[in-house]
Amino acid sequence: MNNRLRVLRAERNWSQAQLAEYLEVSRQTVNAIETGKYDPSLPLAFKIGKLFGKPIEEIFFPDSGRAAKS
Amino acid sequence: MQTPAHSGPSWSLLVVLSLLFLLSYGAARALLELVAAPPLRVASALLPIPFFALWLLTIIRGIRELDELERRIQLEAVAFAFLLTLILLLTLSLLEIAVTLPPEDLSYRHVWPFLPIFYFLGVTIARRRYQ
Repeated sequence: MNNRLRVLRAERNWSQAQLAEYLEVSRQTVNAIETGKYDPSLPLAFKIGKLFGKPIEEIFFPDSGRAAKS
Repeated sequence: MQTPAHSGPSWSLLVVLSLLFLLSYGAARALLELVAAPPLRVASALLPIPFFALWLLTIIRGIRELDELERRIQLEAVAFAFLLTLILLLTLSLLEIAVTLPPEDLSYRHVWPFLPIFYFLGVTIARRRYQ
């Protein structure tokens, strides 16, 4: 799954540590989500959506390889 | 104030309880060398259990306070350690059938120290995966 988390965070000039604090997760978790190494749980995805004021489908989307298969 | 979800376990408490557990285990081993009466020997063997229970409860409580990625890392590490220990035990049992192993140097009670080693190896591998 891909996401726009890094872009959205950069637009607000937040560091990974700041975003991690807002989301009550570790900085490692934010980094792993941004680099696509970890897909967040649904509750965390909704929390991210709420923080950025966007629906989750505007932040997270399937990568092209998986989308083609489904 | 509410504790943040990613605060994790109290590491200082965990270190103290780990030391207490190891000390109680050492004391149990020493007592087993000293006492001969069966009830006392059984009591000595059971001595580390309360410390182990405290240690276990602290770890479980700590895991519940970890954030979701760290919980996944812990799960992968525990699975890695468990399966690797299982392989070690299976191999040891086959080797015992194949040849006579020296019980003082290579027996099942020598296997358990490998479990924490495999666990820390599993944590390292899983952490690297999500870096």
